[in-house]
Amino acid sequence: MDDSKTFNLNVRKDFPILSKKILEKKDLIYFDTAASAQKPNTVINETNDFYKNHYSNVSRGVHTLSVESTFRYEDARKKVQKFLNARSENEIIFTKSATEGINLVAQTFYEKFMQKGDEVILSLIEHHSNLIPWFFLRDKYGVELKFANIQPSGEIDIDHFESLFTNKTKIVSLTHLSNVFGTELNEKAISICKDKNVPILLDGCQSAAHLKIDVQKLGCDFFVFSGHKTYGPAGIGVLYGTENLLSEMPPYQGGGGMIGDVSLEGASYAELPAKYEAGTPPLVEAHGLGIAIDYMNKIGLDNIIEHENEITKYAFNKLKEIDFIEIHGGDNKRNSIISFNIKNVHSHEVSSFLDVEGIAIRAGHHCCQPLMKHLGVNSTARLSFGVYNSLEEVDKLVIALHKCKEFFNK
Amino acid sequence: MNDLINDLYQEIILDHGREPRNFGECEPHNKSADGHNPLCGDNLKLTFLLNDQNIIEDIKFTGEGCAISLASASLMTEKLKGKKIEVAEEIFKDFTNLVSGSDEDLKVLNEEDSLYALKGVGGFPMRVKCATMAWHAFNQALKD
Repeated sequence: MDDSKTFNLNVRKDFPILSKKILEKKDLIYFDTAASAQKPNTVINETNDFYKNHYSNVSRGVHTLSVESTFRYEDARKKVQKFLNARSENEIIFTKSATEGINLVAQTFYEKFMQKGDEVILSLIEHHSNLIPWFFLRDKYGVELKFANIQPSGEIDIDHFESLFTNKTKIVSLTHLSNVFGTELNEKAISICKDKNVPILLDGCQSAAHLKIDVQKLGCDFFVFSGHKTYGPAGIGVLYGTENLLSEMPPYQGGGGMIGDVSLEGASYAELPAKYEAGTPPLVEAHGLGIAIDYMNKIGLDNIIEHENEITKYAFNKLKEIDFIEIHGGDNKRNSIISFNIKNVHSHEVSSFLDVEGIAIRAGHHCCQPLMKHLGVNSTARLSFGVYNSLEEVDKLVIALHKCKEFFNK
Repeated sequence: MNDLINDLYQEIILDHGREPRNFGECEPHNKSADGHNPLCGDNLKLTFLLNDQNIIEDIKFTGEGCAISLASASLMTEKLKGKKIEVAEEIFKDFTNLVSGSDEDLKVLNEEDSLYALKGVGGFPMRVKCATMAWHAFNQALKD
């Protein structure tokens, strides 16, 4: 048995859901990590323990439980800071989701730095969560949106991207890793933004647990990701922003916890990061995210990435050999995600068929309807891998895909 | 092969999914509605002609979708053509109960009906919306 198998078998024990039988008899093969990752025991147990033994509100009371809760919440922030290699904890804002992070930036960046007629550059491969918050600016304030084309490989057309800049371009927002193609953003896109002195937001939902993230090295101005796609709980997201920009932008929501001093005439606002965290935050979920980061660090992110790369490459080559399967995107490197269609079989049928075989995949438009239109498909089937997947699971998938094709084309 | 899959994809479903009947636009028509499943992107356009005796004289649909949504729309048009509106509404109620997994207390549908082939959808709760999309469009068209 080679190293990767040993590594994988040890990891699988950490995820209790993997022992679940689907429809009472099939082993679960979970190929939908890009939609949401499964949770290791440490995350499940530690969040449970928080409620049982330490729970109270954060940053408010002075009693023992308040101290214990606040310590855990702020400790999670430190872990996220290290995970992203941010310069300071002040650059880590906890949100309820990555989506909320993008909405926060769109609204508050506009308020401080933009006006009617200013431009935002996005791309054709963006998730709806990196489109609609900007549509709001277009609809409400007359902001212009421009969309970079993609190449057949699934990567952004860099020349076209660069040609979209004008002196009215105020911000760029792009996915760091495509949730449909699994392709990583060309770093030239970031350097172009740097050259033109335009801030860039990276949507890191698919990259955060599958690539090593260093926001300083990347040179992005904002970076968002969600807890639930990184083996942590749902209900917690992270917005990284440079201290300069976060300091200049106004607060997003008003409420408790984000104030300096309040009188009936007005209020001053708290310093970073509290300024952007109005209301009681998802404190247990933040702690759970911190534990998930501990978990990934324990295995080693490099090991996780190597393992996922091996599976992705293996699955890609296996699918490529099958004549009735059409893979979307090119032969370039993918990270943990492959989208495909079985010719003449709708992705719903594929997903339902695989479901009764115990295999969970995503079918649909992946919240990327403009991209689906561009690809000329109504929906695709998507495989996405996590730390717990194995090559044997890919082999079982391939057998099931052949059965599926046979069933629907009989 | 798994029973659940065979129940879901009965021959008649696969047949209507591959070759939907009454596919196109009704001309003339006086009722229409769009069906859309925002979760997956499937969509259809339903058109029909209701005459002065409240009978559905002709009914057609176009659209794109999975076998379940296409077959359901196709079987629906076959079933509703020539029916009085009051009867069609009863069928709509029965059908939504049927695909939600409860085939007790059905008023007008019975096991002889081709629509019964969609009962297997009840075993796949996330697919119920595929089977009901055309029917909700029909219901919407009646309200408009």
